Amino acid sequence: AFQENEIKLLTAEIEHLKNFGCLGVSSSLEGLRDENAKLKYRLNFLRKSLQEERSKTAKSMLNINSCLQEIFGAAIQAAYPDLENPPLVVTPSQQPKFGDYQCNSAMGITQILLKTKEQKVSPREIAEKISKNIPPNECIEKVEIAGPGFINVHLRKDFVSKQLSSLLINGVQPPAIGKRKKVVVDFSSPNIAKEMHVGHLRSTIIGESMCRLFEFAGYDVLRLNHLGDWGTQFGMLIAHLQDKFPDYLTVSPPIGDLQAFYKESKRRFDTEEEFKKRAYQCVVLLQSKNPDFIKAWELICDVSRKEFQKIYNCLDITLIERGESFYHEMMKDIVKEFEDKGFVQVDDGRKIVFVPGFPVPLTIMKSDGGYTYDTSDLAALKHRLCEEKADILIYVVDSGQSVHLQTVFAAGQMIGWYDPKVTRVAHAAFGVVLGEDKKKFKTRSGDTVRLIDLLEEGLKRAMDKLKDKERDKVLTPEELKAAQTSVAFGCIKYADLSHNRLNDYVFSFDKMLDDRGNTAAYLLYAFTRIRAIARLASIDDQMLRKAAREEVLILDHEKEWKLGKCILRFPEILQKILEDLLLHTLCDYLYELATTFTEFYDNCYCVEKDRQSGQIVKVNMWRLLLCEATATVMAKGFDILGIKPVQRM
Amino acid sequence: GVLSAGEARNRLRWADGKTIKNEVDLQVLHLLGPKTEADLEKKTKAAKARPAMVEKQKVAVVNGEVGTETRSLLEQLRGEALKFHKPGENYKTEGYVVTPNTMALLKQHLAVTGGQVRTRFPPEPNGILHIGHAKAINFNFGYAKANGGVCFLRYDDTNPEKEEEKYFTAIREMVEWLGYQPYAVTHASDYFDQLYTWALELIRRGQAYVCHQKVEEIKGHNPPPSPWRDRPVEESLLLFEDMRKGKFGEGEATLRMKLVMEDGKMDPVAYRVKFTPHHRTGDKWCIYPTYDYTHCLCDSIEHITHSLCTKEFQARRSSYFWLCNALDVYCPVQWEYGRLNLLYTVVSKRKIIRLVETGAVRDWDDPRLFTLTALRRRGFPPEAINNFCARVGVTVAQATMEPHLLEACAREVLNEQAPRAMAVLEPLKVTITNFPAPKALEVLVPNFPADESRGFHKVPFQSTIYIEETDFREEVDKGYKRLAPGQPVGLRHAGYVVSVQNIIKDASGHVIELEVTCTKSDVAEKPKAFIHWVSEPLACEVRLYERLFLHKNPEDPAEVPGGFLSDLNPDSLRVVHNALVDNSVLSTRPFDKFQFERLGYFSVDPDSTEGKLVFNRTVTLKEDPGKA
Repeated sequence: AFQENEIKLLTAEIEHLKNFGCLGVSSSLEGLRDENAKLKYRLNFLRKSLQEERSKTAKSMLNINSCLQEIFGAAIQAAYPDLENPPLVVTPSQQPKFGDYQCNSAMGITQILLKTKEQKVSPREIAEKISKNIPPNECIEKVEIAGPGFINVHLRKDFVSKQLSSLLINGVQPPAIGKRKKVVVDFSSPNIAKEMHVGHLRSTIIGESMCRLFEFAGYDVLRLNHLGDWGTQFGMLIAHLQDKFPDYLTVSPPIGDLQAFYKESKRRFDTEEEFKKRAYQCVVLLQSKNPDFIKAWELICDVSRKEFQKIYNCLDITLIERGESFYHEMMKDIVKEFEDKGFVQVDDGRKIVFVPGFPVPLTIMKSDGGYTYDTSDLAALKHRLCEEKADILIYVVDSGQSVHLQTVFAAGQMIGWYDPKVTRVAHAAFGVVLGEDKKKFKTRSGDTVRLIDLLEEGLKRAMDKLKDKERDKVLTPEELKAAQTSVAFGCIKYADLSHNRLNDYVFSFDKMLDDRGNTAAYLLYAFTRIRAIARLASIDDQMLRKAAREEVLILDHEKEWKLGKCILRFPEILQKILEDLLLHTLCDYLYELATTFTEFYDNCYCVEKDRQSGQIVKVNMWRLLLCEATATVMAKGFDILGIKPVQRM
Repeated sequence: GVLSAGEARNRLRWADGKTIKNEVDLQVLHLLGPKTEADLEKKTKAAKARPAMVEKQKVAVVNGEVGTETRSLLEQLRGEALKFHKPGENYKTEGYVVTPNTMALLKQHLAVTGGQVRTRFPPEPNGILHIGHAKAINFNFGYAKANGGVCFLRYDDTNPEKEEEKYFTAIREMVEWLGYQPYAVTHASDYFDQLYTWALELIRRGQAYVCHQKVEEIKGHNPPPSPWRDRPVEESLLLFEDMRKGKFGEGEATLRMKLVMEDGKMDPVAYRVKFTPHHRTGDKWCIYPTYDYTHCLCDSIEHITHSLCTKEFQARRSSYFWLCNALDVYCPVQWEYGRLNLLYTVVSKRKIIRLVETGAVRDWDDPRLFTLTALRRRGFPPEAINNFCARVGVTVAQATMEPHLLEACAREVLNEQAPRAMAVLEPLKVTITNFPAPKALEVLVPNFPADESRGFHKVPFQSTIYIEETDFREEVDKGYKRLAPGQPVGLRHAGYVVSVQNIIKDASGHVIELEVTCTKSDVAEKPKAFIHWVSEPLACEVRLYERLFLHKNPEDPAEVPGGFLSDLNPDSLRVVHNALVDNSVLSTRPFDKFQFERLGYFSVDPDSTEGKLVFNRTVTLKEDPGKA
């Protein structure tokens, strides 16, 4: 009996050891296993939740490309669980024979397997393995493997059709962005007492459009006009003001032409020693907030402000003014903060800060104790990050400022105001505006082009064009006027936005007003034509809305299918721009949409009419719905670009 | 904390005066009992609500002899015996919270149940049921049965980490073994969707909020109040949604209810994050409701009339009522009863696991344990367990019982149920030199000697028989009545008396065989005693059990400073490998029960094989005087 017991105990002991029940290792191993299981569970759960959030399309449009990326991401993960960060490439296919989208990850994975695991696997084989692991989903009809290892994806018709219906029912919605974040956009930013020129035009147009995009996508956007309103030039301006309008405190001085006023004071500053001395005193008094001097400063700013506002009104720009003066009080603390943290060196009486990776230091205090652009830009950066709590901060400033801004950003990271992994601070740089001679844009007399003059010329040219086309004979005077401003300002904006902002761009009224090619003029005409289709078929909005709910969008015709997919790429385009801030992608897309629509319209009858009588025989409602979907997406695109389409032109 | 009988009578208006007196007397008697009891009393007094139920719990029934109940279970539970409210009259219960919606909800409730009593037995499916659960099963199923109602078996499977399929089946098996049929088998997890919807509603009503205090922060006495208590409803809704979606790690967020419990505990947790799949809902959830949140709502969903639970849950009664009312759903009445504790054993899951791991017992159903499966294996009939519960009384008194009361119950039932057989544990070979027949004779043995109408079985009787070694002595002293040289003894049922003729010994002088002569008992002088014997027997294994622990409260550090594992009785199991049993037991199945004459009640162990039966001794025939 004793031996039997002994045997039992030993067997139990062996079992125990088999289950790693030995030593202290077991508990920590067990713990790690548990933790791993929990992490896996959570990962799976988060994936599911993500899907759930995506599929709740009521408030957002589905980004088909990211859906596919997710599907292929999961497929690759299942096929090659050991690969870390495998390449995930999904793009729309260029030709219908390659399906609707393509996943081109197999080629990259071949390389990785070869490099990291010394395995030689053909991309085709990899593509096959990925294809086999595609999880169940609602969007893919089938996949084919083509060429060396491209996976061609065919979307399901009913899926695309459903997305289009939802677009028509819910209207154009932004892609899902997750948590509502705060975005601060610094743009336009002209200098007081100076005219706005074409350089400011780019910042203003691009900045406005960027704000509109972020707002549409559901971000909380703060539009800031970082006015140059606190420089030493105010000393001479105030001194001159005191001389010219001694009673400026009681009677508002009639400064019509601030530009001329500025030139005059500048001439005196350069030539009259006494004036120069007084100008410096004025600066000191202004900076010490002497009320009389503040008043003078405000008067001058007001004049400028009114001029700027005229331009903003023309271009439909919204901005909050928060100039350099706003940050004046903070600059002292900025200097102190840099000093306290030991970043400051004194060089020839100046306080400078070297930022690792940047050869030129920032000067945060001049030898006379004054502050610089560096100081005010640092103060603005800190305020936007720490007070405004921006999650994304965008500076729409010309490329010439690039090194300066990058140095300021790096200084902000160095001192710990933000972590670039958490907060995105970006310089949306842009190139200069060139004349048609490819040289810097100047007037014939060699002066910089005043923006207001440019806009006026645009209006004139637009009217000429409309009259050329004899639109004045068709449209009422009001419609003609509306068409004129729509075309003029729309074209100026679009010409700017449709070019990659990083490049210099050639300003040409002739090109931008051409109604062929990728221009606002072309798109505006196309848009009014699409809008007219339903109207001419006597289908009103209400009937369209009813049809959207009841009709299934048939996408049997090749051109219907192409147009349908093109329409649904809108959220994909927007998401891309939210990432790279390159708005010309949107223009390219709208142009592609318009041409795809034309193809569709040329091949598919929306409304069939009797040849003789012109009577409507048949209305193909689903095609009218495709027209409607195209138009709503175009309208939203115009809205983001700041272009106002008109009913008739 | 002792009340005078007079005081008690005032406060226990509905109770039987005599019972009160008995109990108060008893209580005085036990005043010097363990300190923990006194502590409990103070707490319960603080609760105030419904003094009747509370005060009765003070009485600790120690030792079976005192204050045991003599009425049957159903008698105790029938009608108004317990003074419980009638279905639909929940509001008549003292302490029940009546809201403007109560009457309408009760009306609806009656429409659903038709006025039927509804109870539920709600075990957590994370372990094996033990003797304590038997009381809960009897109370819940019994109360429903006694009053024409129904009882649900509801697995409280809110905690996903512990559940295993085997526990689910074992629990149901044990309920059915005890003779009860659940009206329906349900799971708390069946209601996860509804519970989640209600959680959202609770937040919308401003009665719950998402909190980020760590578990350690809200543990212990007087934890700091949650700084998130007053966050906006919208925020809590969003965060709760985030919890559901897996955006929070475990412990980073909980949903808490805005209420203070009887024991001062603030804002109990309703939901917590757990990244663990659930036995039944799979990977659908990563937030799971707590007991505090789930229990009353499941009761409400199932329209339970009487939610019976042990008195540890008394501190949760207010949250029970509060939650149902906060959601304006039907609110059952929670009634508490005292736990049934047994001395000389441990019942907690973790401790039993330790015992199994250290080899102190073989498994969860080792017959020395007091799990229900162990009791079944040892041979306790379910009726005995139910009678034991009835004896303890399904009153609200907490009872700490000695195992021998349970054993007494077993004897009572087995006496009626277990047919007789004869077995010899320590065989001594006896050869009858003058056996009257060339072959074996057949002896008729009554299955139940007290009632011969219940039949007979045959056992062979031939010249070689075996008797217990202890039934023979060479020397006779006063009081020894069995076989000895010159002192014949009768063989039970055989009808013969044998006398020693020759004693055969081995080299060491040990008696190895007897040669005897036999005389028919009707001609022989009446012997002083009759002994049992076997002939042409079956070899079998017999397992004899003693208490597993030496001390009454092996878990009590005051009694057993070394911990319960140091208190093991080395003699708790004695295995007799070469016992002999008469061949009437040949075709038996596990759990069949017999009374082996003079040895006790035995049950066939599932370890039995075709070649070798294994018997567990359930209990001896009489209480061992040394035990009481």
